[in-house]
Amino acid sequence: MGMMLNEAPVAMRAEVQAALEQAWAELGAAGDWLDGATRVGVAAEARRAWDCALCDRQKAALSPYAIDGEHDQTGALPAPWVDVVHRLTRDSGRLTEAWFDRALASGMAEDEFIEIVSVTVLTTTIDAYFFGIGLALPALPDAVTGEPARQRAAEAKTGPGWAATIAPEDAGPDFADFYANDSHFYIRRALTLLPAETRRLWALLNTLYLEDPRVYELDGLDRAISRAQIEFLAARASALLGCYY
Amino acid sequence: MRLRVSGQDTGDDYDLDAVSGDAAGAGSIPAGVALNAFAEAICERDPAGIAAARQALVADLGKAAMVDAAAVIAGFNAYPRIADATGIPLEDAKHQATADLRAELGLDALNQSAD
Repeated sequence: MGMMLNEAPVAMRAEVQAALEQAWAELGAAGDWLDGATRVGVAAEARRAWDCALCDRQKAALSPYAIDGEHDQTGALPAPWVDVVHRLTRDSGRLTEAWFDRALASGMAEDEFIEIVSVTVLTTTIDAYFFGIGLALPALPDAVTGEPARQRAAEAKTGPGWAATIAPEDAGPDFADFYANDSHFYIRRALTLLPAETRRLWALLNTLYLEDPRVYELDGLDRAISRAQIEFLAARASALLGCYY
Repeated sequence: MRLRVSGQDTGDDYDLDAVSGDAAGAGSIPAGVALNAFAEAICERDPAGIAAARQALVADLGKAAMVDAAAVIAGFNAYPRIADATGIPLEDAKHQATADLRAELGLDALNQSAD
């Protein structure tokens, strides 16, 4: 079942609708490192996190890492994966490098970690939009049979954060366009260990905010709110998540 | 912070404390109070709060603005999580350019915990 956006009670920009439908269809297909069933499992876990009692207690605690217990979970994923999904969904502002290191030490590949982050973020983002405009959340897509290539990007190196990324200067001809127009902000680079997955996620994000935030005000862009209102919402949502990137 | 840049571009003066505190200064942004309530309710997954804030925002700015606001808030449910999950730092140039702003808002005191 698709997202049924044609039945939405409010109009949205065509590019947003197309990107949402594309992202939802891709969610059920094999990614770079995870198969479709696992990706849908991660998405289901991201939704489950909002009703997790342990996450509630961790969120309320002075230090979320001082609160032990078992997450309320779907049962589809290994425990370390569940912890990544839940903490990222519910308390992302207090994630630490030690948390990242523990995730990898648990046996998950760095590439798997990045795809878990991407799918969790995608699900949370789409759900936030649906909640916002007053639509019921779409049912998760059916998983499509197929295997991921699971090929490590050889040009990726650790940095500028904790994980390996592809630097603009190291990008091959099949990925250099992702950094076109000098848009190589670190945030855009963050998940590039998985180049195809990165493209999939940013195809949606570009439509929700601005493809190039350096534009002067909203020259040539179709928006019903001003640039100042956009940036206020951006800053406020970031602050509410405890992020000051 | 691009809100400050936007204000400089247009000659408007915005209360930047509104983004990090209790948003009392949101009134310096057109329809800021309604926008803030909408952002808070969505980020907190508060269905009743979202419904009320949506209604208020539509009354203030109209449906199209509400839909565009939801899109921005949704997008900024992604960027912070991506940055925080991967430890992405501020770019050097951005770090220097926002030094005054970070001091003004007290942001450097945050996210210092190792675990």
